[in-house]
Amino acid sequence: MSKRTIIPFGPQHPVLPEPVHLDLVIEDEKVVEAIPSIGFIHRGLEKLVEKKEYTEMVYVIERICGICSFGHGWGCVGAIEGAMGIEVPQRADYLRTIWHELSRVHSHLLWLGLLADGFGFESLFNHCWRVREAVLDIFEETTGGRVIFSVCTVGGVRKDIDNATLRAISQKLEEIKKETQKLTGVFINDTSVKNRLCGVGYLSKEDATELCTVGPMARASGIVQDIRLTGNGVYDEIGFEPCVETAGDCWARCKVRIDEIYASINMIQTAIDKIPDTEIAVPVKGNFSGEFALRMEQPRGEAFYYAKGFDEPTKFMERMRVRTPTNMNIPAMVKTLQGCDLADVPMNILTIDPCISCTER
Amino acid sequence: MGSLFKKPATLMYPVVPREWQERTRGHIDVNEPECILCGMCMRKCPTNAITVDRNAHTWSIERMKCIQCGCCTYNCPKSCLTMAQTYTAPSVTKTVDTFEIPQKEKAGGAKSADGKLQNNIEECIYCGLCAKNCPQEAITVDRKEKSWKLDEEKCVKCGLCTEKCPKKCLEIK
Repeated sequence: MSKRTIIPFGPQHPVLPEPVHLDLVIEDEKVVEAIPSIGFIHRGLEKLVEKKEYTEMVYVIERICGICSFGHGWGCVGAIEGAMGIEVPQRADYLRTIWHELSRVHSHLLWLGLLADGFGFESLFNHCWRVREAVLDIFEETTGGRVIFSVCTVGGVRKDIDNATLRAISQKLEEIKKETQKLTGVFINDTSVKNRLCGVGYLSKEDATELCTVGPMARASGIVQDIRLTGNGVYDEIGFEPCVETAGDCWARCKVRIDEIYASINMIQTAIDKIPDTEIAVPVKGNFSGEFALRMEQPRGEAFYYAKGFDEPTKFMERMRVRTPTNMNIPAMVKTLQGCDLADVPMNILTIDPCISCTER
Repeated sequence: MGSLFKKPATLMYPVVPREWQERTRGHIDVNEPECILCGMCMRKCPTNAITVDRNAHTWSIERMKCIQCGCCTYNCPKSCLTMAQTYTAPSVTKTVDTFEIPQKEKAGGAKSADGKLQNNIEECIYCGLCAKNCPQEAITVDRKEKSWKLDEEKCVKCGLCTEKCPKKCLEIK
């Protein structure tokens, strides 16, 4: 038996956009065990619920993460609206869906870039982020922010997008789709890329189910699980179909995310065609009371939001709980790391699309 | 190969200036003459970046704390806070921008503001919404005693109570 060595991986590492630490138990070149530890960027955002009114808490929750910021904002207001029994106008629901799907496009493009950077394809990384910039420009034009939008509010959305701008966005998305097709062809077909991804980090459907894997990680292992099939928004009206692969390796996870980019673009274009002309928000009166739990499909997978008020209605919530997708995918990541080559560790970590800011909050 | 014949995707900043979108959230601006120092922005700011000092007649904002959420602009009863497009200059220290708010003088030389809050007490149902929404907690309503009291020293005449009053019996005259 070879000698076992422990190699510390992170919290500062070139492939890690955010700090997570792994103790890799190595035998020769093989990883025998990976022991993760988090806690480097805990900010205690959930605790702020005691000091911030429920309407202000939305701004706090959407700052949990920069990449899936809109989804967090929507999850928070969705839980509050559910607890208070607020009906959101249909146009607001459509606008929320459009922004959320745009967020998914930009998140997946960002991730593709990081993956390319991870396997050493620098120019592909730059091209992915170049295309992503066009999506960020749409965000700035429609919300005023490139990363944090601050448009979701209890009762609807703060800003409307006029129909002419929506049509222009639809055309821009067509260009983004063409640009993306040039890039994704490399991820799917290029031999050197496939050498780094195919057969690496295999996670079987049974393991994925047992480890409660969520999001693209689960769908790449053949599990048809997507909260958009059941959750809020207007997904039932815009032809949503989950993207599923069965290979269960890093390449399959990459393929699922690539397919989701195109699916999201198609859904946004359908939503733009169907968007009704109604109000964008309803006035919200009174204090917060009640209790509600909501699930949302974030770019990284299922997120869970729970809002609870005090017995007597007040401006404050008693509890706001967020469970994020990376939190659920870390056990699966540890599983895929067991038995992999040391050189494949970055790929295995990157393909769960880790978001440690979300995980620690 | 195609990239060789395309224009650069990046902007030659600062030689080519950045074009701001109409909705870009850059920094908060205050229209000093309109501000009534009600303190609503200070209460609503999620990061406590704004400080309103009614005694010193100043409105100040800590730029590094401000997260450009726009919460204050939505809650300002006088709409004197706006979101400007440009970002503030980078800084290595936590700078606080302080604005002097001019004292509002009546024509007769009295202390302040545009009239006085008055309640048509015959119409009042003592619901207490005015008291709940008053940013300065200047109104006290007792439903059992059927009393409505105004602390004129505290009242900043923001008009929020008049908007919220379901019977429209409050008026600033």
